[in-house]
Amino acid sequence: MKSETKFDPKIIEEMIKFSKHVMDAPKLVSAPDEINLEITPHEIVQEIDKTRLLHYKPLTDKQHKTPLLISYALINRYHILDIQPEKSWVRNLLLQGFDVYMLDWGSPTSMDKYLDFDDYVNGYLDSSVEFIKDESSVEKISLQGYCTGATIATAYTALHPESVKNYIATAPVIDGWRDTTVISNLAKHMDVDKMVETIGNMPPEFMYYCFSVLKPFEQGIEKYVNFFKNIENKKFVDNFLRVEKWLGDTPPIPGALFRQWIKDIYQDNLLIQNKMYVGGSHIDLKKINMPIFTQVAVGDHLVSPECSMPLHYAVGSDDKTLKIYPTGHVGMIASSLSQNKVLPELGNWLAERS
Amino acid sequence: MESESQKDITDYYKHLSLFWTDIIHLMSSKPQALTSLGPMRAFASNSKKISTELIQINENLMEFNKYVTEYYKQLSETWSEAQKKVNLKAPDVPHDVEQIESFKRIWIDIFDNDFTELFDSEKFGENYGKLVSKELELTKNWHNISNVILQSANLPSKEEIDEVYKEIHALKKRVTKLEIELKKKKAIKTEVTKNEK
Repeated sequence: MKSETKFDPKIIEEMIKFSKHVMDAPKLVSAPDEINLEITPHEIVQEIDKTRLLHYKPLTDKQHKTPLLISYALINRYHILDIQPEKSWVRNLLLQGFDVYMLDWGSPTSMDKYLDFDDYVNGYLDSSVEFIKDESSVEKISLQGYCTGATIATAYTALHPESVKNYIATAPVIDGWRDTTVISNLAKHMDVDKMVETIGNMPPEFMYYCFSVLKPFEQGIEKYVNFFKNIENKKFVDNFLRVEKWLGDTPPIPGALFRQWIKDIYQDNLLIQNKMYVGGSHIDLKKINMPIFTQVAVGDHLVSPECSMPLHYAVGSDDKTLKIYPTGHVGMIASSLSQNKVLPELGNWLAERS
Repeated sequence: MESESQKDITDYYKHLSLFWTDIIHLMSSKPQALTSLGPMRAFASNSKKISTELIQINENLMEFNKYVTEYYKQLSETWSEAQKKVNLKAPDVPHDVEQIESFKRIWIDIFDNDFTELFDSEKFGENYGKLVSKELELTKNWHNISNVILQSANLPSKEEIDEVYKEIHALKKRVTKLEIELKKKKAIKTEVTKNEK
């Protein structure tokens, strides 16, 4: 007697449906290139080299007095903070009455390979802060740093505390030795001197490799299967393509900056030990004495909470808040959780101090 | 023993190649001098660099292959271990849509966990670091060969261009500092004028 294996006909039905979705996809959705990621109206108020300072148009009649500058990460572009109206970090802050600026680091070319931490901290970020102070006639501004942008913002805040009224560190990369992510393991074994000497800037392809080893099967297979399954769901598809376009837009990282980054943060872990120098100036985290709001995500597989949280304990501020959210690195800034919990909490904290 | 004899053979061919390149270069340098302004003159005088680089490339490629083999060995071992775990956890062939869905979930979770564990491990990080390092040495070899070709066409080498970039960077920094100082001085002057009035 042969045992017969019976398959549910629904399986065939599902397969046919899935193939149809794959075939119909180009007719139903736009190509990622056709999608515009710049949503919330803004003007470019300052350009230095390849960097741009964006000033968002207010969405309320009255704004808080202290403007907020966002220092976005060096990996990918700032668009994730304004990815679509319902999930826009920037729009939410504007609706809460904040005057929001964003520093776009731009796309460095081979010519920019000698740009270092000093250029980013005491050059581009400082110029933006000074511009906003002049423009808004204030002596101090609020500063938010996200991911690697928070490392730059942390160094800036420690060096120029007189210009920062409130500091918000969102998933900051601070304690490289405590970081438990795959990226940290790769960084620790990297011959960064040889890399920078040979290829100059850190190419986007290398960053794509680093991302591809993070949850490779969930991100490399399941995500795309879900995309085709939901091809008729306009909202899902729009959000998916926006995030995918953002993920695919990674600018190179200037060689000198990358070298110091890997050595000082991941290999020698100097920042948290108060041993790091930027442009010859010592970074002492105890000099961060203004109100500070640190946000970390439990499920962050790019910057582990253990890597971010030490900032909260290392700063010299008396007024400090640490918030831990049940989400991931991107979920903390562009999701319904960020709109319903993360941003209202940040807004309340910041409004009291602006 | 085998690797030593391999090294001997490589050294022998390295020596042989350099010997003939040097001899040919010395023998041909006089006739070349007649066309000292043409591109072939510069190319010929630097051709020794190309053969040295090609030998080096060969050596680096052997090392690179060693690390790339280890890289794929680690991936395939992790794959088969993960597959064994999936087989143990879900031994039956899924028959309906729900079963397929739960099988897929199990498969993805186990594979993601095992591969993340691999990418997080010391052995992966170490081999990956060496693999990238060899890849960079190969890139360097290619740059050196390209420099010979660039020089033969009277174009600046990568190092010369880098020098220019470095100089521009230093100049930009100086200009920015001067601008800041100027701004401060202007502000002080305006303040003084205001007070005088």
